[in-house]
Amino acid sequence: MSGNISIANLSKTYKTDEKETVALWDFTLYIEEGELVTIVGPSGCGKTTILRMIGGLTEPTSGTVALGGKICQGPGPDRGMVFQDFALFPWRSVRKNVEFGLEVAGVPKAERRERAERYIKSVGLEGFENAMVHELSGGMKQRVGIARALVTKPNVILMDEPFGALDAQTRNIMQTELLRITEKTDTTVIFVTHSVDEAVYISDRIVVLTKRPASIKEVIDIPWPHPRDRSSPEFTALRRRILKMLESENIQPDGKEGSIA
Amino acid sequence: MDLERLNYDENNRHHRFIRKLAISVVSLVVFFLIWWNLSLILNNPAVPTPGETWDAMRYLFEKGDLVSGMTMWSHMSISLQRFIAGLLLALAVAVPMGLLLGYSNTLNEFSSPTLEILRPIAPIAWAPIFLFTVGYVWGPILVVFVGIFFPMLTNTIFGVKKIEPNWMDAAKTLGANKKQVFTKVMLPASVPYVMNGLRIGMGVGWMCIVASELYASYGGGVGYFVSIQAQLGYWPNVFVGIILIAILGILTTGLSDYAYRKIVKRMGIE
Repeated sequence: MSGNISIANLSKTYKTDEKETVALWDFTLYIEEGELVTIVGPSGCGKTTILRMIGGLTEPTSGTVALGGKICQGPGPDRGMVFQDFALFPWRSVRKNVEFGLEVAGVPKAERRERAERYIKSVGLEGFENAMVHELSGGMKQRVGIARALVTKPNVILMDEPFGALDAQTRNIMQTELLRITEKTDTTVIFVTHSVDEAVYISDRIVVLTKRPASIKEVIDIPWPHPRDRSSPEFTALRRRILKMLESENIQPDGKEGSIA
Repeated sequence: MDLERLNYDENNRHHRFIRKLAISVVSLVVFFLIWWNLSLILNNPAVPTPGETWDAMRYLFEKGDLVSGMTMWSHMSISLQRFIAGLLLALAVAVPMGLLLGYSNTLNEFSSPTLEILRPIAPIAWAPIFLFTVGYVWGPILVVFVGIFFPMLTNTIFGVKKIEPNWMDAAKTLGANKKQVFTKVMLPASVPYVMNGLRIGMGVGWMCIVASELYASYGGGVGYFVSIQAQLGYWPNVFVGIILIAILGILTTGLSDYAYRKIVKRMGIE
């Protein structure tokens, strides 16, 4: 199956007793196989909702997500997910965490051990196979999260602010690592982030969203090669442009400024 | 006490251990002295001296008591067997039930009126009914079961509700089906809470076994032994029974405390 994703007219409305809240309105996007697309937008605009709907964890109110031309129903190992708070299983060792997807798919023990070890090595955690989750630093935990998502060879990985809980330095290292790891595969990456800097550094394309109800404000292609220089004039210019867009989105209709997280 | 003169080092594990041990020993010695003096002052047959109790204990372990002919070893083993049977029964019922009630709000709402009525009833209040209906073997076991069941159930339900939704989401996106989410995420994630329920339940359960045996008119067990000996007025024997109840209680709760700490540490959860 190929890893292109076509999202058509995706909408999400949350209903409570008092009111209906439209979280996402008519989101349509086509993503090529192997592309790295980030979604940025004002806080609380529903970026995570989009990702969860692609992952099949949240049911859309209307619209469809198709992977390789096939419409997705519910979650599945073809769409791996990496979470902001890592969501590792603390009762399992690093190896057992990475093996999880293979285990539930019924892969024989020897093979799943061998495959897990390969991926643990590729995220740079060789020697930590038997460590427990609480013994690892934040950056190492997310490396496990990435290895766990990749080991089942998904066509797409969905990353929900994966480096949001890490300190600035670890974050930069992890961005470079992510590019190194995904470069070798044709895995499509959809990446949600708060950080414009991060988006400009890693993306092939950036989708900028409007505030609630979220819709696409602009899609920006970044054809620059890697590694990118964060201090180059074109990098900072693009960063400033996107920040301006987000800022204008955060101004509320009554003239008050919205929260900038 | 001036500890520095003894070269006491707060950061040394062995020193800390010896200090703790010494304090415990002094504490126990003081306790025995108080007991001894009380016994002499009161001069009442129902309060024997530590010496009389010690002699009775040695006799009871070697020869057994005159009523049942059983040694203290057999009384202890009977009580322990009932305790363990009640514990296993409670585990087998409370854990699956707690997982279900934690998982399904409807089931929880359905069963909570009944459970809330039954919960405040002291387990021992059931003893006469259980002993009459199922006899002296199963009666005490069921009392223990009731005692352990509620803390275990409450803790398991709480544990399931506390499971990180992200763990379930992660499992689903990795391809786990409903059954696998249950067995590979919910079950292991609730283990620390089940263990905590077990730890609390052990204390309650041990009180239940002794109390229910006090009711039972035959069949052995430490509680039964205490009850018979008190009726006959063999007070040193009664004291032996009480001391053994305390020791067994400390051992069982100590064991579950230890297991709980090990598991929680292994899982990295505080």
